[in-house]
Amino acid sequence: MRFLDGFNHAQQNSPGSSGEPGSSERLNEARSEGDRMLAAADEVIRRALGSGNSQAFLRAGRQQSGQ
Amino acid sequence: MRDDLRTPEERAIPKLCGADIELSNCELTADQPGGTGFEASRRLLAQIDGFPERQRGLFDDSWPKASAAHYTDNKYGATCPAAEASAYNPQDVSRRFLAGNSSSCYIDLDHLEICTPEVRSAHDSVAACHAMLRVARAALKQANALRPQRRIRVLANNSDGLGNSYGSHVSFLISAHAYANILHRKPHYMQFLASFQIASIVLTGQGKVGAENGRPAVPYQISQRADFFEIMQGLQTTFNRPIVNSRDEALCGPWSAADWSTPARLHVIFFDNSLAHGSMLFRTGLMQLMLTLIELECVNPRLILDNPLKALLDYSHDATLQAAAPLIGGDEVTAVELQCAYLEEVKRQAAQGVFDGVVPRAGEIIALWEDTLNKLINRDLTSLAPRLDWIQKLMAIERAMDAHPTLDWNSPETKLIDHLYSSLDDDGVYFAYEASGFSERLVSDEEIEYFLNNPPVDTRAWTRAMLLRRAAAEGIGIDTVDWDRITFRMRGRSGWPVYRTVYLSDPLAFTQASAGPLFAAAANFDQLLDGLESLAADGAGATNLNTIHGTQKGTHYAFS
Repeated sequence: MRFLDGFNHAQQNSPGSSGEPGSSERLNEARSEGDRMLAAADEVIRRALGSGNSQAFLRAGRQQSGQ
Repeated sequence: MRDDLRTPEERAIPKLCGADIELSNCELTADQPGGTGFEASRRLLAQIDGFPERQRGLFDDSWPKASAAHYTDNKYGATCPAAEASAYNPQDVSRRFLAGNSSSCYIDLDHLEICTPEVRSAHDSVAACHAMLRVARAALKQANALRPQRRIRVLANNSDGLGNSYGSHVSFLISAHAYANILHRKPHYMQFLASFQIASIVLTGQGKVGAENGRPAVPYQISQRADFFEIMQGLQTTFNRPIVNSRDEALCGPWSAADWSTPARLHVIFFDNSLAHGSMLFRTGLMQLMLTLIELECVNPRLILDNPLKALLDYSHDATLQAAAPLIGGDEVTAVELQCAYLEEVKRQAAQGVFDGVVPRAGEIIALWEDTLNKLINRDLTSLAPRLDWIQKLMAIERAMDAHPTLDWNSPETKLIDHLYSSLDDDGVYFAYEASGFSERLVSDEEIEYFLNNPPVDTRAWTRAMLLRRAAAEGIGIDTVDWDRITFRMRGRSGWPVYRTVYLSDPLAFTQASAGPLFAAAANFDQLLDGLESLAADGAGATNLNTIHGTQKGTHYAFS
């Protein structure tokens, strides 16, 4: 299940998001720039997932119930 | 004048605010049944200097380990025999105030807790919160450098995924009249506020993989804290958590039942920890606006949810934003629709100028609120990811799922990404987004750096920091420090120590403008304290207390 796919699909089909001159180009440029910036976090996640046992990490993170 | 005799229009006071960030902390290399929060929190706090310096050893083994079950809320009235016997309060261990920025750090139930100084504006609150996160990040780096074999991880989230939650509190200065209306006189005011907060998770939530506390399973939900709220109102904060907390602790000097002019502090435990500037700004800025409406008694009872606790779960558990909940009038509304209704109430009052002088930069906050709601209505989440934590985190997780097709919502790796979103270490996903320029910035790096090294100039926090700095420079002992008072240990004429307490009762007073000349003119520390006491006694420390409809009104608050 993907949540954002549904939103993006709805947004693309929403009134005002199409038909305006140059809108798709601007959208593509924004997406490209966004992807570039998102890649930094992708790399952080890739390293984290490749570095160890996630289940052990989650167990070690047990906290005292707080306020 | 007695606060209850004022007209509603005279009751709005500047919505000074503070934030407490309770952090998740553990040693990654250790897997102990009860967790490693005791050790990790103490190793972190040991890296943060503050006052008073004379404190019981952080690693003193005679301290009992914290237990929410045994020590819950002992300071605030609940029965707690063990804590009373030992005078040990596990919810406030080794509290210290930082002379640099007038903030406070301590250990609360084995969590490092970082607290901003009192600020007037929501934008300053964002800068101060991020400054405190930098304090914690620096402590983390130092602690890990000292013992790399027992690496600590620190997260700015609100649950460990194992059923344990911890808070992110914000406090607001409000009139005693408004406080009494919310909690004691007018139940629908509390419900109005609670309904607003519940719908606000679409703006303030950090997002969470899965459900806890016996709630129905869900792949992803909007709020970290929603699963843990079980009643509408209550004093307690660590169990059976209430949406509206009734902790009545003004931190405005010695309390006097006869004095109705002393303001109150609303202690809000509802919100998630936030990192994205937009979520953070909405958490404080929108509450400032709503509390002003309540002070002015502009409360629309038609916006009250019929079943608030169920609505909170329904809203949080539906990341598609389709869930609707009934209002008491019978209409069903989504969280976004309810937020839009609250926005309209605020805009109507804003047109009358009621926020002038009470909520700094109210117009900017309202404009950002409206823009965000419009994008949510248009289902334009892509453009909101840089602004709102729950969407930014969702985007990070779904991108990871795309890159690693074996991952699903039940994978431990997916939960790990949820946690790492708020990591203060180099593996922090939010901070990677911030560094890449993806996250929207509402305050600059310079503003954050300012609040790392300087106190706000327009609240009592300024005088607190200056007193700590001056006492340290002149060799004056600092015996105890709290938000509204400092006790100094000075050398008396006979050579024996003399203790002297200065009260900073009015949070809006003792600003740089009002107290600065005293610091410049005082020949010695005694003279300085004399001057501050005089300032308090004649009320001259209070400045810009009340601006209603463009008219400046000086309000006298109680000083001891």
